Amino acid sequence: MEETTKDLEGVVFSHEEVADGFRFLQIRIDGHLPCARPGQFVQIRPSRTTTTPFLRMPLSVSHVDRVGSTFGVLYDVVGPKTRALSDMNEGDRIDCLGPLGNPFPDVPDDARPVLVGGGIGVPPLLHLGTHLRSTGMDPILIVGARTAGKHLPLELLSPASEHVRLATDDGSLGHHGFVTDLLAQALKEEDKPVVYTCGPHPMMAAVASATESADVRCYSSLEEYMACGFGVCVGCVVERRTQANSPYDQFTRVCVDGPVYDATEIVW
Amino acid sequence: MSDAQQVDLSTRVAGIDLANPVLLASGTCGYGEELEPFLRLAEVGGIITKTITPEPRSGNRPPRIVETPSGMLNAIGLQNPGLEGFVEHKWPFLSTLETKVIVNIAAPTVEQHGEMTARIDALGGVAGIEVNISCPNIREGGVLFGCNPRASADVISTVRRHTKLPVIAKLTPNVTDITEIARSVVDAGADAVSLINTLVGMAVDIEARRPILGNVTGGLSGPAIKPVALAMLWKVRQAVDVPLLGLGGISSTQDALEFLITGASAIQVGTATFVKPGAAADIVAGLGDYCRKAGIARLDDLVGSLKS
Repeated sequence: MEETTKDLEGVVFSHEEVADGFRFLQIRIDGHLPCARPGQFVQIRPSRTTTTPFLRMPLSVSHVDRVGSTFGVLYDVVGPKTRALSDMNEGDRIDCLGPLGNPFPDVPDDARPVLVGGGIGVPPLLHLGTHLRSTGMDPILIVGARTAGKHLPLELLSPASEHVRLATDDGSLGHHGFVTDLLAQALKEEDKPVVYTCGPHPMMAAVASATESADVRCYSSLEEYMACGFGVCVGCVVERRTQANSPYDQFTRVCVDGPVYDATEIVW
Repeated sequence: MSDAQQVDLSTRVAGIDLANPVLLASGTCGYGEELEPFLRLAEVGGIITKTITPEPRSGNRPPRIVETPSGMLNAIGLQNPGLEGFVEHKWPFLSTLETKVIVNIAAPTVEQHGEMTARIDALGGVAGIEVNISCPNIREGGVLFGCNPRASADVISTVRRHTKLPVIAKLTPNVTDITEIARSVVDAGADAVSLINTLVGMAVDIEARRPILGNVTGGLSGPAIKPVALAMLWKVRQAVDVPLLGLGGISSTQDALEFLITGASAIQVGTATFVKPGAAADIVAGLGDYCRKAGIARLDDLVGSLKS
């Protein structure tokens, strides 16, 4: 059954800091929340705010509870909008528009999913990994961060994979270096890898380049400034790599055409 | 008046019969289809399409939007499928709607406005044409016409010659005296005037020391511009004698009422739709509630009721 997107009010169910600056927010929806699939996102904002923050925040869904109507998002407190979100307490009401965007495509039965996340780009991969494991697959999860304190705790990472491989830029935890080093190793080990990635733009560009060189399929979940999240503002575009038939198709809307793209479709 | 009594929200603006005076502003509702999951389009008085141009346009390089205090900047650059792309891919859906559809157009030359108008007129079923002589984010056309009374008049008179449909001129606030432009478009045959389009603005990334927007400047919209829009509406109300369509930061029933009282025959909900896709329908419901509570039988009676 195809479920439609809805604009509903939810309630903060739990809200805690889980790493340096990273917060885990779980929301219970009053009505029936159409279940988000891995890669989809929600647009949220504290209810009854009028002008500050003004636009909603697009955040990938990291957790879904298919029994009760709760879902989770993870975010990094970086600016006024996320600071306003971080002030929310249990029981506070929150506007939720979603689920939005296209999910990650299905993984072929004989493929080995390799999930590569960086910084606060990990949440959609947690959703994906947890989902893949529920279908009997055994994904590898590679996560990079600047430093140990910026890594999500293992209890959040491990439901998504039994093979979590960490890297830090400063060597304070796991591999001293970039996720691309760990990716190169995984691509060597696996016969039929398929890569799923989300993180800072330079990291995803490096992952896209590495997978293309290795002739491995890679799906990237992009993040862009977004106003509406459902296709009307045409603000969150990225450039397509393929020659468009019409100038109209040169840029693609991350919110409704993405956020998940085959990495070879996009100009990095 | 008892709660059970029906309030008449209908109005007639420039010959267009509207079920209510709440329209969706151009550039904030796409071509209708994307909004359907959240908003029954039949509930609003009308929808004004995203601007179409003679040829398809790719729009500006990203980033195209950034949030600013109580609003946002955009520099989309009129990404659109072009006139023929619109006719082939967007009009079939729009033509089925039970609400009025006003088509918004822009073109690089005066003559092309005429050609576009003739084609749109021939579609049949279009309620009116809104002429965007006020887009701040493109290099040719748009605000370059709208800043100059004579160029504005040339565009509007050309559109006028090519159709009997209601012609609405959408004005920019980025001028010294908006009443001068309003008078010139009305003299040139505009049946109504929409105001205001966005105000030119800018935001800077202090780490990179670069403009945030790919286009450097963009158009400011949202609650931040509402007082500016109201003041301009008030001035133009005294300068011309055609219906005015008010817009600029309208997000609530209270906002809509301020515009109606100041003299807007209808209002347009724009950026608010980005934040709450059902905002326009909420405002329609809110206007009905307001009238019931205030004992107003016809909302239209409120238009221009501002006391001095």
